[in-house]
Amino acid sequence: MSGIRFPKITLWRVLVILIFAAGIYATYARFLQGFAASTNLSDTVPWGLWVGLGTLCGVGLSAGGFAVAAAAYILGFERYRPVVRAAVLVSFLGYLTVVVGMLYELGLPWRVWHPIVMWNRRSVLFEVAWCVMLYTTVLTLEFSPAILEKIPWKRIREQCLRWHHAVLIGLVLVGVVLSSLHQSFLGGLYLITQGKLDPLWYSPYIPSLFYLSAIPAGLAVTIMALYLSARSLNARFDLSILNEISRLMAPLLGIYALFRGIDLVTHGAVPYMFRWRSETGLFWLEIVLLVVVPLVLLSSEQVRSNPQWLYWTCALVVMGFMANRLNVSVTGLQASAGVHYVPKWTEMASTLAIIAAAVLAFRYAVLYLIIFPQAKQRWIVGAASGD
Amino acid sequence: MKTKAILVDITKCIGCRNCEQACKEAHGFPAESEPVLSATALTVVEPRGDKFVRRMCMHCQDPACASACPVGALKKTAAGPVVYEAGKCIGCRYCMLACPFGVPRYEWTKLAPYVKKCDMCAAQVAKGGVPACVQACPTGASQFGDREELLAEAQKRILENPAYVRHIYGSEEVGGTSVFFLSDVPFEKLGFLAAPSNRPLPTLTAGALGDVPTVVLIGSSLLGGLYWFTERRRQVALAESREKHSTSDVDEERS
Repeated sequence: MSGIRFPKITLWRVLVILIFAAGIYATYARFLQGFAASTNLSDTVPWGLWVGLGTLCGVGLSAGGFAVAAAAYILGFERYRPVVRAAVLVSFLGYLTVVVGMLYELGLPWRVWHPIVMWNRRSVLFEVAWCVMLYTTVLTLEFSPAILEKIPWKRIREQCLRWHHAVLIGLVLVGVVLSSLHQSFLGGLYLITQGKLDPLWYSPYIPSLFYLSAIPAGLAVTIMALYLSARSLNARFDLSILNEISRLMAPLLGIYALFRGIDLVTHGAVPYMFRWRSETGLFWLEIVLLVVVPLVLLSSEQVRSNPQWLYWTCALVVMGFMANRLNVSVTGLQASAGVHYVPKWTEMASTLAIIAAAVLAFRYAVLYLIIFPQAKQRWIVGAASGD
Repeated sequence: MKTKAILVDITKCIGCRNCEQACKEAHGFPAESEPVLSATALTVVEPRGDKFVRRMCMHCQDPACASACPVGALKKTAAGPVVYEAGKCIGCRYCMLACPFGVPRYEWTKLAPYVKKCDMCAAQVAKGGVPACVQACPTGASQFGDREELLAEAQKRILENPAYVRHIYGSEEVGGTSVFFLSDVPFEKLGFLAAPSNRPLPTLTAGALGDVPTVVLIGSSLLGGLYWFTERRRQVALAESREKHSTSDVDEERS
């Protein structure tokens, strides 16, 4: 992009502009007109799309960073090193979307800091708030070398990077613990909805189910981001890493499916799986997209070694995951609420704009920072061979 | 002060809605009657067949809303009422999701919205007064007093009059509440929720939250151990390759 040439009008650019225009209007509606004008939320449906998609999906789909970092640094999967930084970036941006989305979702967003000083240790949401806060900080620090290495003064730069290198393992370790806690606690939020949430989703083990599904879904997002970086952003790295990550995804999805199945059987939800009602339909949609089709596809070497096929398989996992989170947060609560909730377009528009901003940020980070190892460049801390 | 409670005897309610009006007056809400609970109607009288049922916050003994609130804006007081500290609230609305009776309301139309629910006129009660709704009740259908005494009174009425359903709604639902209902018609027919269980709902989350220290401890030591193992293996591999390298150098020199 040189000079002052007028940027070419492409389909993607038009789309992005439309999304942002709608997002800006939605932001105006939310903050200057209020919930009633900008959402279809009500006393019986206090949590809608912003929580279901913005928070539950946002956090869950950002689980790739901690999983890949743990694999590379703690389990010693050396082959993952070149993509750790990209995975951490995806998660970092993902958590930023959650934090920004939270400002839309909270009725009194200027009080978002209250949980820091006003404690309630009995609240699952309190624990989630703290974990998200701390883990976003950890992600910022994990990603910081990409910025630090741009410091023009050699001595300061190297000192910063040395400090970072010294604490890196600690950060990764803390990140894994924090992620494990709040990924499961997001499910834990729904423990208290006993009697309201449909038996297909309510389970005393819902925290574990949230955790087990977040890891493969997070890895799926990582694979998609890596593939798109290679295809559209000219990132050069060995694409066989995608195959490698997908080898981890299949058993993880399998474990989730097994656990989910046992859970459904043991708490007597099986009859609900075969009733003619919309909840059951959406349940099967979720199962087919998240588990059945991906497991079939991932068991084929042909799919795994073909990046494009793999990309679409991961897209299915992501869609299935989103179906699951929306089923828990919206569909599964409809019957007890007695109200049919369909999000207002402004709810969609604001969420979409925030996601689009994150995608753009990812693009510019890959273009202007060193996210992937570059030829002839000594690969420094952050995603380095831990010399 | 002993824990206070409200007893509502549905057989005595004539549907005059004086309680609704008194409540609205006490809170400075617009006077017109509303069909269901709202941010400006913290108690309503719902006609059910030929009966009238009052709806309001149940003031649970161990309230789900208070356990759910991340900033502790909702609290069960020793005097009985479950109160809301608006200055703490961040507007997350988790209390609304958590409440088994679907009581808390939200000011959806306001730019700085708060949660609204009956607080049993806690300020009056603290001064030894009576909640506005009870004071306004002309038939004694709503009564205010010590929780234990009201329970005993309710029990007595059930024993003396076989017309009553043999259950005090609120005595054991979700671990007990501070608002009780007596009725001569089955509670399910009056739109009362079959409460999820007789265990307080916060016990459902307490277990998961109690696991935190264990998860942190076991998790971090496990990860630390794995890291040590990985690191050790790498060092050994490195040393071995170095050794091999140096011996092969020696071999080369010899030849």
